[in-house]
Amino acid sequence: MSAEAQAHSAGFQNVEETDELRRVPSGRLAVWWFLASEIMVFGGLIGCFLLVQAAHGGFGEAASHVKWKLGAFNTLVLVTSSLTMILAHSAASAHNSAKTRACLLATVLLGLLFLGVKSLEYTSEIREGFTPSAGTFWSFYFIMTGLHGLHLIGGIIVNTILFIAALRRQPWEILERRVEFAGLYWHFVDVVWIFLFPLIYLT
Amino acid sequence: MTVTASVPARTRDTFYITIWVCLLLLFLVGLAIFVLDLPRTTAATLIFGLAAIKAGLVLRHYMHLKHEHMLIYLMVLVPTLLFIGFAISLVPDIVWHHNFGGG
Repeated sequence: MSAEAQAHSAGFQNVEETDELRRVPSGRLAVWWFLASEIMVFGGLIGCFLLVQAAHGGFGEAASHVKWKLGAFNTLVLVTSSLTMILAHSAASAHNSAKTRACLLATVLLGLLFLGVKSLEYTSEIREGFTPSAGTFWSFYFIMTGLHGLHLIGGIIVNTILFIAALRRQPWEILERRVEFAGLYWHFVDVVWIFLFPLIYLT
Repeated sequence: MTVTASVPARTRDTFYITIWVCLLLLFLVGLAIFVLDLPRTTAATLIFGLAAIKAGLVLRHYMHLKHEHMLIYLMVLVPTLLFIGFAISLVPDIVWHHNFGGG
């Protein structure tokens, strides 16, 4: 009796043995499923912003006070962190411990840099009187960038845990997969910012 | 084993760095469009078009969507189409009929 048949006869069905899902590892499927839900969250926010902006005839005056140069710098930081994250994944696939650790650390540090610059922006804007209650644009600004920042914090925490796991030389068959899944999440956060930056800062 | 494990590490890394350079170039073009102060609709279309290309590069090459099963594509496509559809369906109500205050 095959392993699959034995599993079925025991009344237990391993998700990875399901015909349709056989080609997709369950962990990767789960991460993409989670990202699909996040698309709805950010998509809903962005859709609302666009609709309200159109109803207002634009947020020209309010939006002119955003610090686009800091936003541009942050975009460079986040795109570079995506590179370091994918290099970490590549290193993990090659079982290169030193490079995996270095790239994970670089990703964490770039993420912290992003948050630091974002904090500077928030501080400057709040000092100028642009708080979440200052108007519709600023409400959206703080909600969208704040929610993105919270997601980034989550990614930083995960990558820090993976860095520590790499330091402790966790088995590659476990670490490699976890770095891959964390990378999917991190790249998604980058994709969200790729749309948020022009939406808030450039248009 | 990950989808790109069969490709030599150095080749993979060079490719990822190439994608990163493309992302930077697209980003700089977008900034240039912003600085040039083109007509609003033209600038917005170009900038968001560039953003879509950048997102596509990250999705396809960094998130390895090009190697994935059709199921994964659907999991990305369906919610994307959903929120776009929701936004479009609300245009008559929100944009044309509501009168928001200034801000």
